[in-house]
Amino acid sequence: MPWSKYRRRSQGAAAVAALLLVLLTSAPSAEEKQLSIYGPRVSYSLPVSEHEGQDYVALLEALEPFGNVSARAVGAKWKLRFNKLEAEFRQGASVGKVAGQKFGLPGRFVLENDRGLVPLRALPAILGLMLATRTEYHEAGRRLFLGGVATHFTTDPRENGLRLNFSAPVNPLISTEPGKLKMSFTRDAVVANTSILRLENPLVSSITFSESNGEAELVVLGRVPLLAQFAADRRAIEIVPAPSEAPSAPPAAVAGTGPPAAAPGTAPPAAGTVPAAVAVPPPPTLQSLAAKPAFVVMLDAGHGGDDRGALLNETLEEKGVTLAFARRLRSELQGRGIGVVMSRDADVTVAVEQRAAMADAARVSVYLSLHAASQGHGVRVYTAMINSASSKPGGFVPWDTAQARYVLSSRALAELVKAELLKHEIPSSQLSAPVKPLNNVAAAALAIEVAPSGADVGSVSAGVYQQRIAAAIAEAIVVGRARVEAER
Amino acid sequence: MTRALTIGTGLLLAAVLGMGAYLYSLRRNEQARAHNLPDTRPISAPIMGPASRVILYLAYDDPGVVRPQEASIALPADPAERGREILHALVGEYVKRPSAHELPAGADVKDVFLVDENTAVVDTTAALAEGHRSGVFVETLTVASLVKTLTANLPGITRVKILVDGKERETLAGHADLECFYDVVTMEQLLEQLR
Repeated sequence: MPWSKYRRRSQGAAAVAALLLVLLTSAPSAEEKQLSIYGPRVSYSLPVSEHEGQDYVALLEALEPFGNVSARAVGAKWKLRFNKLEAEFRQGASVGKVAGQKFGLPGRFVLENDRGLVPLRALPAILGLMLATRTEYHEAGRRLFLGGVATHFTTDPRENGLRLNFSAPVNPLISTEPGKLKMSFTRDAVVANTSILRLENPLVSSITFSESNGEAELVVLGRVPLLAQFAADRRAIEIVPAPSEAPSAPPAAVAGTGPPAAAPGTAPPAAGTVPAAVAVPPPPTLQSLAAKPAFVVMLDAGHGGDDRGALLNETLEEKGVTLAFARRLRSELQGRGIGVVMSRDADVTVAVEQRAAMADAARVSVYLSLHAASQGHGVRVYTAMINSASSKPGGFVPWDTAQARYVLSSRALAELVKAELLKHEIPSSQLSAPVKPLNNVAAAALAIEVAPSGADVGSVSAGVYQQRIAAAIAEAIVVGRARVEAER
Repeated sequence: MTRALTIGTGLLLAAVLGMGAYLYSLRRNEQARAHNLPDTRPISAPIMGPASRVILYLAYDDPGVVRPQEASIALPADPAERGREILHALVGEYVKRPSAHELPAGADVKDVFLVDENTAVVDTTAALAEGHRSGVFVETLTVASLVKTLTANLPGITRVKILVDGKERETLAGHADLECFYDVVTMEQLLEQLR
């Protein structure tokens, strides 16, 4: 029909514009500032924005992983409720109330699209009051530690190398530069007492520790080419000499229990350089997204704006639950080195077809449509109700059956997600279902419906529950990445 | 006129105006209530005919399955009308209280059109979609139950399209696709998972 064609064309243009916006706002880039928060049960990162020359963070998002939190803006006043505690601020004012106490901010309170932003320097004290816990803030590295959580490490010289022992399991991104082995810790609360450790070791001359932009980094300076490999259930990293000739193995495939630490070098070493272990590639930047297809996951928080979705109980709307869950999942994926784009990162209306158009235009590898429901328990994972046989070769992909070529890959990924959820003791099931807009996505596409963990429907928005689900899904995507990439 | 008479007249006038306003608001509320009530009038004349055995594929929210159940209903000879009566009986099970898969009062199937020898179009009442619970799973159960019941009882029908009040609708209640044609092969795969 002419009208539907016109509508699709105009939606396509809108989708491209929205995509640019999404890429600019959501794709990790070198300039994007972030804060990492480490708690006893969860670790996550938040975007940091600048106002009047100061760093600011969204207070509601900072508290979300710890319990039931809600906020509402009435005129210039912004009220937040966390469990039974309240905080209250007024736009432009530098004094507010936190947990019944008068609270001075080191800058003005900012109200932006109904999101309350506080100066970053005030966050440790606010979280300390709201969570009734001890906080320690490393300002230079933008890392905040709650409840005394910290992962320490020691060095242990070995016959054939050096072993770093950590006090808790770690999951760093490992990369190499000539003569160096770099380990970046985003989700691990790794701390060190000294910034440089000089070693009398035949392999390693020194280890330096630094913190910046929500990350800790260990740089191992080698005397010979080095490799790193995990040991002791990720509580240790062994640094060993690299083989003299790099084998022709494929690039570090992400499989098994997480990002591999020690895939051998993927290319012959250049003269005078040091080949070493290569792990997961760093998160793609905007430039790399444009230059070549990268492994990017699109998180589509269902509903939003005028479309509230299901009313889960008297006060809980599906659109808010899906957005909070999408943010948690983004944090988990980015922590595993996976690039993420979001269909929305605020309470805005996005048409269903526009969501698929955004995913297709961005050439994402995985599309996840996120939903919440009050019926049943656990998590239901859906793939499109489409027959893979209907896929036809050719340069153009029919809109209505764009998913056909990818449905087998979607089903395989859904199985992995289900398995990981069960491993995390979260009840889960896998079905095919006619969920909009899975049929229109030209990538592995799943719809994920989060149902309550028990009898209380409100549990669907509980931070700890959502965090467990997000971690399981992120782990499944890491495991399934190789297959998804192979079928693209 | 004495002061007392003036005050008395004023009070009476105020009382009359107040009563008028009250009666007006009562009338408006009653009209609004009547407007919001589901239309429970029969949408077609009662069907007369011999009782036949049909299979209804009934959805159960808990434990989340669709199961066949035999029923005996009076069916006309025309296949489209048969389809409508069968779906009418199916939706009737969901409108009852209590029901294993509740649909709102006023939910019904207005018509079934047989477009060609293998394609059927089901037209539901607006109340079925407007009052449907929102959620991927509950919406999927409704669609699966309608499509499977129709295709199981009208041999040869392999594709089904669902309309709401005569119009195409994007989703049933925010999740399940109503713009597509459902085919028996993919529906069978879903039902396999829902058994």
